[in-house]
Amino acid sequence: MSARAGIAPVALHRTLAPEEAGRASLYALLARLIHAAPDDALLYRIAQSAPLDPPGDAALARAWEELVAASSVMDADAAGEEHDALFATLGKAAVSRYAGYYTGASAVDHPRVRIRADLAALGLAPRSDATEPEDHFGGLLEAMRVLVAGGAGRAPATIAEQRRFFEAHVDPAASRFFAALASAQASNYYRKVAALGAAFVALESQSFSMD
Amino acid sequence: MKDTQSNHRRNFLLAAGLGGAGAVAAVATGRKATQARDKQASAKEAAAEGYRVTDHVRKYYKTTEV
Repeated sequence: MSARAGIAPVALHRTLAPEEAGRASLYALLARLIHAAPDDALLYRIAQSAPLDPPGDAALARAWEELVAASSVMDADAAGEEHDALFATLGKAAVSRYAGYYTGASAVDHPRVRIRADLAALGLAPRSDATEPEDHFGGLLEAMRVLVAGGAGRAPATIAEQRRFFEAHVDPAASRFFAALASAQASNYYRKVAALGAAFVALESQSFSMD
Repeated sequence: MKDTQSNHRRNFLLAAGLGGAGAVAAVATGRKATQARDKQASAKEAAAEGYRVTDHVRKYYKTTEV
């Protein structure tokens, strides 16, 4: 995702509130792990991470703790093999990463079209070298990160804007995607990733309704 | 942003544990560090696998002299 100059107002040196920074980081981490397997450096960084602040949401805290623990015994080769087994697309992938797959998208009214339009309205366009369709979960979560944290010369989106994008494009498919990822036969490390994703999306869904 | 964000939501997220340094510190700099490392590694590999004139190659050159 990159911001189009001239559409979003520029806000430099604006620091995010800690809970917003936490959201952005979780979106970034989930997007990164869905796009590609973690390398040794990322596994190490996750393994070194502290638990969530107490009291903490029970499901999120447990999922985070288990991902931290799993990251300390995982190596990049094994993670790479698992990622391939889950997502590699020679023919049909074991687990689809496309939101449209879970919402029963039809060819004539595909969510990709609406996602592209909504991203454009928010001043975001896919990178010109992007090869993945817009409803790829890695891209959707990366879009949420940019909406939460801003970046590339754009300010964070309002909570209302974040909520609209989340409820239209992320939430309808997320729980089914993470459930499919958790129950896939090849899923081991990614079972923890799926649990973290499911807990986080549930939390987001709840928090947006408090506005 | 502040005007549309209720304290209720903010407190909920903080109570959920999202304000902590844990998840934040782990990944905030993730991608940059990885890229830098990849670049270094590939530069090293390129140096190691680059063209070198070994004895074997020197011998081959000799066979091409007229």
